[in-house]
Amino acid sequence: MKIKTGILAIVLLASLFSSLLSTSIPVSIAQAPPKGPWVDEVDFFVETDEAKVVDMLMKNEMQVYFRDTRDPGLFRTIKASPDLWYVTSYGLYFELTFNPVGPEFPATGKLNPFAVPRIREAVNYLVNRKYIVDEIMAGMAVPRYTCLTPAFPDYARYADTIMEIERKYSYDFDKAREIITEEMIKLGAGLVGGKWYYKGEPVTIIFLIRVEDQRRAIGDYVASQLEKLGFTVDRQYKTSREASPIWIRGNPADGRFHIYTGGWITTLVSRDESDNFGFFYTPRGGMGPLWSAYTPSPEFDYVAGRLWARDFTTIEERNELMEKALELSMEDSVRVWLISQVAPWPARKEISLTYDLAAGFSGARLWPYTIRYVDQVGGTVKIASSDILVDPVNPVGGSNWIYDAMYYRATSDPAVIPDPFTGLYWPQRVEKAEVYALEGLPIAVTLDWVSLNFVENITVPTDAWYDWDAEKQEIVYAPPGTTAKTKTVVYYDDSLFDIVFHDGSKFSLADIVFSYILTFDRAKPESPVYDESYVPVFEAFKEYFKGFRIISERPLVIEYYSDALYLDAEQIAASAASAFYIDYAYGPGPWHTVAIGWLAEAGNKLAFSADKAEMLKVEWMNYIAGPSLKILSDYLTKAIDEKFIPYENVLGKYVTEAEALERYNNLKAWYESKGNFLVGAGPFYLDRVDPTARIVVLKAYREFVDTADKWLRFSKPMIPEVKIVSAPTITPGLTAEVDVSVTFEGQPYRIDDIYYIKYIVKSPTVTLTGVAEPVEDGMWRITLRPEETSMLTAGTLSIDVLAVSKLVGMPVSTTGTATVMSVTEFLMDELAKVRADYETRIASLSSEIEELRSEVDSLRGTINTLTSVTALAVVIAIIAIAVSFTRKK
Amino acid sequence: MIPRFGKYVIKRGIILFLTVIVATYITVLIANMGGYVDEIIKSDLYLSISQSIRQNPAYKALNETQIKELINAIYTNELKKIGFDKPFIYRSISYLRDALSLSLGRALFISSDSGSKNVRIIILERLPNTVFLFTTTQLLLFFIGLFTGLFLARRYGSFLDKLSVLFAPLSSMPGWFYGIFLILIFASFLRLLPYGGMVDVPPPSNRFDYALSVLKHMILPVMSWLIAYTPINVYVRRTFFLMFSSEDYVELAKAKGLPESLIQRRYILRPTLPPIITDFSLTLIGSWMGAIITETVFNWPGIGSLFYQVSVMFDSPVLIGLVVIYAYLLALTVFALEFVYAILDPRIKAGGT
Repeated sequence: MKIKTGILAIVLLASLFSSLLSTSIPVSIAQAPPKGPWVDEVDFFVETDEAKVVDMLMKNEMQVYFRDTRDPGLFRTIKASPDLWYVTSYGLYFELTFNPVGPEFPATGKLNPFAVPRIREAVNYLVNRKYIVDEIMAGMAVPRYTCLTPAFPDYARYADTIMEIERKYSYDFDKAREIITEEMIKLGAGLVGGKWYYKGEPVTIIFLIRVEDQRRAIGDYVASQLEKLGFTVDRQYKTSREASPIWIRGNPADGRFHIYTGGWITTLVSRDESDNFGFFYTPRGGMGPLWSAYTPSPEFDYVAGRLWARDFTTIEERNELMEKALELSMEDSVRVWLISQVAPWPARKEISLTYDLAAGFSGARLWPYTIRYVDQVGGTVKIASSDILVDPVNPVGGSNWIYDAMYYRATSDPAVIPDPFTGLYWPQRVEKAEVYALEGLPIAVTLDWVSLNFVENITVPTDAWYDWDAEKQEIVYAPPGTTAKTKTVVYYDDSLFDIVFHDGSKFSLADIVFSYILTFDRAKPESPVYDESYVPVFEAFKEYFKGFRIISERPLVIEYYSDALYLDAEQIAASAASAFYIDYAYGPGPWHTVAIGWLAEAGNKLAFSADKAEMLKVEWMNYIAGPSLKILSDYLTKAIDEKFIPYENVLGKYVTEAEALERYNNLKAWYESKGNFLVGAGPFYLDRVDPTARIVVLKAYREFVDTADKWLRFSKPMIPEVKIVSAPTITPGLTAEVDVSVTFEGQPYRIDDIYYIKYIVKSPTVTLTGVAEPVEDGMWRITLRPEETSMLTAGTLSIDVLAVSKLVGMPVSTTGTATVMSVTEFLMDELAKVRADYETRIASLSSEIEELRSEVDSLRGTINTLTSVTALAVVIAIIAIAVSFTRKK
Repeated sequence: MIPRFGKYVIKRGIILFLTVIVATYITVLIANMGGYVDEIIKSDLYLSISQSIRQNPAYKALNETQIKELINAIYTNELKKIGFDKPFIYRSISYLRDALSLSLGRALFISSDSGSKNVRIIILERLPNTVFLFTTTQLLLFFIGLFTGLFLARRYGSFLDKLSVLFAPLSSMPGWFYGIFLILIFASFLRLLPYGGMVDVPPPSNRFDYALSVLKHMILPVMSWLIAYTPINVYVRRTFFLMFSSEDYVELAKAKGLPESLIQRRYILRPTLPPIITDFSLTLIGSWMGAIITETVFNWPGIGSLFYQVSVMFDSPVLIGLVVIYAYLLALTVFALEFVYAILDPRIKAGGT
């Protein structure tokens, strides 16, 4: 019995100890970032019902939703929940597309008022964007006036101009009525009984209203506004597919529509939106008959054309063109922009991960590197999305859907990674890059991993790789005299050769060389993997590719020659570093896994691209599931049997038969263990795919080169918080200073991280603009010079402050007020101040005199007392003397 | 000399096959809106290609002409890929041929969950899920309705009978409607059963656990349909049996003093078998088409959601494939039922006048 009791006690103690241990482990390792990702496992599954998603998030049945929620009611629930947080993205935006043909449609003879630019421009006054944002979008949007996307760098660059436009074109129904009436009369229309008539018939506006989203309500609102002006509106409610043959492919001259509720989407932060003017307002967009009907003013066409062709040599010149284009686009208004949707992406509070300002969680390239439980290492994260496993996955021509890219990107490790908040590229496997560009090209550099140099000319050396001869199986070198606009020298990181793929194979130069050859080979008719559908894409690439040269094999240093032009040197460097890297367009691509697919395509059993699969009537190659797997497995066996080295003539110099065999055997073991061929070097590996249940399981790759904290700083965008510290009183003719604080989560924002802080001071007589000067980290000062303040009149003025950070593409603004006094008021005020000062001094003096008097009185009392005491003492002394004399006697 | 029965079989077979051909071609025309879908698809393709080119940073460096050429080249390739470089009338015949030969062709846009473009694989991947869930449900509904109906018909006017009449209006609400409430109660509130899906996330690696997990995920959708359709099923069967119970020959059997079980089996159940079997067969086939909303509510990857997906995307080959399979099954069932009727009901003669 005693023994049993003893055992029981030991068991209890052991269990107590183990429970203590198990609760203490996460805490003890919380501070040590592991190799690879923070978490151990990520499970993807499908859930389309947003209401269910929010409930599941709140009940911790899942932790993140890789899709934005668009229901205002659910958004309120998310905001109110103590367990959830959310981020917002700006990818979707709505506008009104006008048919510009006319003023009479050739096919029907009916009037099209929107052929007149001034009427289109007046629609800007007619629509109350704030109403649309507040009432229709339930606050899940911001007003939009121009073709530049809020939160993107170009919006930030021209934020002050855009603010002016926003002020100028704010809602003014009467102004809209006035302009439209004036123009309608000029067109020969008449207003009878409150209705517009033209040639005896009511002027009927055919309005194609999309029904799938809030555009239905927006369309109804705009239609009502037009009806208030006297137009008869034929509201035609249509789905995307019903409307597209009319507005995209239909001839606008047929007059089948006047207005269409357009919607556009952006899936990544665009660094350069200068071609938006050419695309949205001129025939350059080239999207069909509607675009061909655009007739911008010659001036606008010229400006848009120059921006489209990037025909400028300095950033200042570009700024000038952009500002002009913004102004002219409003006058053209063949599109009237309405709102940019602010879409929330929900997650549980204990989870932290990076998001992209354009594409939310799923589109952020950094999510696999940053997803984690706050203050905890390890754990499993369940992520739902509205779809998954949409198309086959293969690195060369597989699925381009974000629903597939969101998981296969996690298995791949790119050379450079785009900043989710600015779109600029950061190095991942690159130490540094030198960009040499021709003088006069408008290129700038922001980040210090890239150096930018301007040179007079760039000649491509004749030993640079230029093409591939598929027939002779050899590399073609650059012809003498080949020139390029840019040359980039990329110094890859030392860690490149530490990369071990998920199947245990080690990175080698053969991976890069194979990628180079395949890029060219697929476009060569002599090749067994020739793909006709790839040719246009290749031709586009070949237009600007000028040469590639390996300078050093280990460490790897390459030269890349190109005619491609980007405003950011980081983008040029990124293109060079990524061109033939192991991170392919659609997934990771170590040479041996791609070679298996190569064999299958060459054998006409599978095809990398959907087009070629269709042409051959074979399966589109899928590395992760389906009938492709058996075929790929058979070709892997063949590769092992034949010790296959693709493009052996060249690749044979970089890989031996033994190395090839080792890689194939690694892949075989991997396939037998995991059941897929998706092998990469990313922070996660693909552990399991259940196509029937539509579930994908990713697991942490602990042999990853970096520790999990490498990209931690991108967990949250450092959106600055801007505040006018004090509202000053400004005196005309005197210098005025306004202090502005710039912080992030209460901490001062570094001066170096601020791109600029602009101000707009608006008084009834004048608008002053300028740039604030830094005082210290977190504190900037607006200084209005005497000659500026002298232009101000007495009264209240508004101060708009606009801060743009280098770390986040989204500008932040704040508005304050200040008071300006007139000169008389100033003098009176000064007199009043002097008087008050003197009065204070006199009062103070009086008080001091009173105090003195009181002290004198007090002294007098003391003296009196002393006198009395002295007298008493004298009397006592006299009496004492008298008494002593009496005793002697 | 072909016997009269043989002639009848051949004649019926030919008529049914012609019906299938006509029905399939009508489906081809409807699924393509008589060719108008071409316009829609072309517009969509052009728009999406232009958008993707514009958004790809790699093409930012191309000039106006190069971009236009690139868009047009990709667009032309895409049209060729989906066969839209040929006129609709040509493709409609090709769709019909693929459908009738059950090769079913290749999907225009969607892929199967495992990544195949083959329509047959696309359908066959989803069919087991649907059969597993909805055929199970329909079988349960059928037998519950049959035996409870028979049971209540024998107890006409009893408390249970009145109760069944009282509950019948419950079926005015569809299954998915109850499904939403069941999810709220059992998944959200009580946390006993899953919100939806087919299996736990991550899926169990052990096959037995996997099967158990699937069964667990079936409970709520099956329950929702049982709640929704059992009352009306029972009510219909009960009324049906009641009608047959009052036939003269049943009354005569009762008057002759035959045992109750014999009356039920021989005088009530047997004459009612042809309509019951017809109903059963058609319900069974119908269950293979899934249920769009129920599958959506429970996130069940079946044929119903596939139907919805391809209808929205105008993926004609898959749509036609789904319909033609149903048409074939229906024709075969009707064909087979002709013989079943003759076996079950001696009054029916094959090809008789």
